[in-house]
Amino acid sequence: MPAPVPFDPQEIVDAKYDERPTREGVTTKRLICAACDIACSVVGEVKKGRVTKIRSSDNPIFKDNICMKGIVAPKGLAHPNRILHPLRRVGERGSGEFERVTWEEAMSDIGSRLKKVVADHGPEAWAVSTSQWNTSTDHGLGRRVMNHVGSPNWISGVALCAGNTAAVNRFTYGWFPFGDFSSTNCIVLMGHNPRRHSWTPLYNSIRSAQARGAKLIVMDPRRSSSAERADIWLPLKAGSDAAMMLGWLKVIIDEELYDKEFVADWTLGFDELKERVNEYPLDRVAKLTGCDPEMIAEAARVYATSGPSIIPWTPITDMQRNSTSGIRLQTILRSICGYVDVPGGELLQGFNPDIVNESTIEMHHVLSDEQKMKQLGSKDHPAFTYRGQLAFREPTKRVYGQEYANLVTGCHMATPSETFRAMAGEGEYPVKAFFFLGNNPLMSYANMPLIHKAMMNQDLIVSHEQFMTPSAQLADYILPADSWLERPWIHDMFGWMSTIRFSEKAMDPPGECKSTFEFWKQIAGALDMPETVPWDTIEDFYDYRVAGTGKSFADLISDTDVHFKKPAFKTYEKTGFATPSGKVELKSSLLEELGFDPLPYFREDPPHDKDYPLKMFTGVREDPFFQTGHRHIPEMRARCPEPQIFLNEKTAKAAGVSEGDWVTVENQLGSVKAILAVKDAMPDDLVRVPHGWWKPEMAQGNGSLSGAWDYSDAQLCRDDPDYLDREQGIPHLKGIPCRVVPFASDALDEVGGKTQHMEPAE
Amino acid sequence: MSSEQKRIRKKERSTRLAIWMAARSSRNKTFLDRMCRKMIIKATAVDPVNDFMRDEFVDNDQGFDPEELDRYQRGEAV
Ligand code: SF4
Repeated sequence: MPAPVPFDPQEIVDAKYDERPTREGVTTKRLICAACDIACSVVGEVKKGRVTKIRSSDNPIFKDNICMKGIVAPKGLAHPNRILHPLRRVGERGSGEFERVTWEEAMSDIGSRLKKVVADHGPEAWAVSTSQWNTSTDHGLGRRVMNHVGSPNWISGVALCAGNTAAVNRFTYGWFPFGDFSSTNCIVLMGHNPRRHSWTPLYNSIRSAQARGAKLIVMDPRRSSSAERADIWLPLKAGSDAAMMLGWLKVIIDEELYDKEFVADWTLGFDELKERVNEYPLDRVAKLTGCDPEMIAEAARVYATSGPSIIPWTPITDMQRNSTSGIRLQTILRSICGYVDVPGGELLQGFNPDIVNESTIEMHHVLSDEQKMKQLGSKDHPAFTYRGQLAFREPTKRVYGQEYANLVTGCHMATPSETFRAMAGEGEYPVKAFFFLGNNPLMSYANMPLIHKAMMNQDLIVSHEQFMTPSAQLADYILPADSWLERPWIHDMFGWMSTIRFSEKAMDPPGECKSTFEFWKQIAGALDMPETVPWDTIEDFYDYRVAGTGKSFADLISDTDVHFKKPAFKTYEKTGFATPSGKVELKSSLLEELGFDPLPYFREDPPHDKDYPLKMFTGVREDPFFQTGHRHIPEMRARCPEPQIFLNEKTAKAAGVSEGDWVTVENQLGSVKAILAVKDAMPDDLVRVPHGWWKPEMAQGNGSLSGAWDYSDAQLCRDDPDYLDREQGIPHLKGIPCRVVPFASDALDEVGGKTQHMEPAE
Repeated sequence: MSSEQKRIRKKERSTRLAIWMAARSSRNKTFLDRMCRKMIIKATAVDPVNDFMRDEFVDNDQGFDPEELDRYQRGEAV
C-alpha cells in the first residue's frame, strides 16, 4: 500500500470522480472477473443489454489488474456453442446424444433418481466435484445441501491447488496466511511464475515490490521469466522443493539467523526440528536438489536476514509426493524467522466479522460424526478430510470465533483418487451419483482412465456447465450455467483474506442459464428439503450475508468496491494460535495423532525406470487459457492453437525429435500427443507438459471426447502409492517418469520453427 | 520497547493508515475519499518507460459491438 505523498487540494475538488468517461448509450458495472481463479476487480461496459467490453477497474488499488482472458470474456461467453437449455442424455452414456428438456423436467427426475441412490446405498453414495470458479462459487450452498442429505464426499481441484495448502498450514499455526506484498522486503517464488496474463494481480504485486527494492528468490528447474528477473535463481530438480527448504533450515538454524524470541515464546518442537534438519547437511541437499551448496546457503541467508519476507502460496508444493512436508516447511520457515502476522510478512487475517462467511453457510455441524468419518480418503490420507481437520474446532472457535473454517474450501474434502475408486466400484463402498459444477473432472484430477471408468459406472451424473466439456459429454443431465457477467457476486476469498468485494449483474443470462444459487435451491426443492436454501433470490441471500454491515447488498455495492476489515497484527499475543497447544507447532501434534511423522521429511524418488528416462511436470497454465477452459475462443486459440511440450535441444536430440514435430509423451499410465517446442530454458531430461488440453471442435462422445483422449495430461498423472503424498493422498505432478517418442501422422498439421533460444520457459 | 519492536509498531501504523485510505478511496464519494484516491494514484504511479503492466493486448482497449455479439451467438459469420 502506498505511503502519503504531497497533493494539491484543488485538484481533488476538481477531480470529483476519477472514473473513465463513458460513451453515449454505455453504462458501466463493477465486476469481479471469474475467467480464472484470481478474481480481478474490473469494469464491464454494457450496451443494448450486452456486456461489450471488460476493462480494468478505475479504483487505483486494482490498477491494471486485467488480462487477455478477461478482455475476451464477452465474446467467449457469447460463443454459439454455449449451452443455453437443460439437456438430457438420450443415447448410451458417452454417446454424446442429448435432447432438450425443461428445468422442471430435469429437476424432477434428478430428485427422484438421487433419492433412490441415497435409499439404496446411503447418502455417502453421492459425490460432488466443483472448482468454485468457472460457474463461480456456490457460496457453500452445495456443502450445505450435502451436509443435510448426509454426504461428506465433496471433492475439488483445490485438493491439489491452494485448498490443500490451506488445510496443511493449519497444522502449524491454525490458519492460512496471505503474504503482505505491499511492504515485504523479500519474495520467494517456489516454481510459481506469475505473468502479465496469468495470475495478473500477483504479477503486478511482485513487480511493484521489486520496483521498490524487494528481493526476489526463485526456485524453478526451468529458466522462467520470474527466474530471469530474480536476484537469486535456484534451478533445482523438479519435485525437490522440500529438500531445498530443509537445506535452508539447516543454514538458518546453524547460523542462528532465526527469531530466537519468537521461537522461545511461541513455538513447540524446535529441538526436534533441529535434530531432523541435521539429517540434511548442505552436501546432501545439494545432491538431492542439484543446486550449488553456496547458492543454497546464500538464498537462505537472504530470506532470513532481509525480512520481513514472504513465501507466497505456490501450486508447486500442492502437487507432489512431498506436498505435506513441503507446505509444512514453508510454514516453519515463516515461523522461525518471525514473519508470521507482522506487516510485510505473512498475515493471519481471520474472517471478516461483518459478513456471513461460506464456512458458516456450509453448516458442517449438521453432518453427523459417523458420516464425517465415512469421508473417502479419511483412513489412509486424512490431512484435509474431516478426520484430519476436526481437532481444529475448539482452537478455531477460541481464536476466530467459530468451529469450522473451511479455508479456500480445502479443509473438509474427500480425497479425489479415493472418490473415483469408490465410483468405479473399487472403493470401500459404492458411489453411484456424481454432480459437477463448473468443473471438468475427467481432466482435472490424476488418473483419467480411472475417472472415466468411474463416470461410466454411475447411476446418475449431473453437470452444471457453460460448454460441452469432455466430462459433460458423459452426463445424464447438463444444466445451463450463467456466468460472472450475468449475476451479482460476493467474493470473500474463501476466508483466505478478510477483504470482501462485490460484483454487479451486468446483463441477463442467455437462454435458460441459471446461477449456482438457483441450481442448489432447485436441488434442495427436488430433495424435499426446500428449507435448506430458504432465500427466494440471490439478492435476498446476499442481504442475509451482509446484514452485519448494517447495509443491504444493493447499498453496499453502490457504496464501495471493497469492504475491509480493520487490520490487526500479532493477534496471537492475545488469543494464541488456533492449534491444540495455542502455539506454532513445528512438530505437529495432530499429524502425530493421525499416525504420521510430526516433522517434515523428504521422500526420495522411487528407483529409476530405464524405460522412462525423462521426468515431466504438468499443471502449468498457458496465458490464453484457464485450466481446461477457453480453447473455444478464437482469439485465445489463435495464440496457442495446439498443445506444446518443451524440451531442451540436448534432450530432444537424444529422443530423436526436433522442433515442430508432433511427439508422444508416454508413461506407465498413458500417453498424450503434442507439438515439440525446443527451449534452451529447459534443463536436461525434463519435459514440460501443458495442462488441460482438449479441442471443442473435435467429435464429441466416448471415442474422442473432443480430443481429451489425445491430449489430456491427466492420462499421464499417476496416483499409485509411490506417486501420492502420504498425508493428503494427492498426486505427484512435478517429476513423473516418462519418455518422448516421435509421432508420425500425416493427419496432423506441422508447426515449424526454430529453437527458441532466448525465450524463458513458461 | 526494543528498536525492532518500535520498527514493527511503526509499520503496523502505516499499514493501518494505508488500508484506511484504500477503503476511503474505494468509496470515492466525499472530499476526503477523493483526496485518498488522488494520493493513492500519485503514490502508485509508475514511470511509463518502466511500467511493467503496459501490454499491447490490454492497452488496445478492445471491445465488441453488441450486434456483432448477437450475430456471433446465433452462429452467423461475423
Ligand atoms: S487474471 Fe485475467 S482471467 Fe484472471 S481474474 Fe484477472 S482478468 Fe480475469
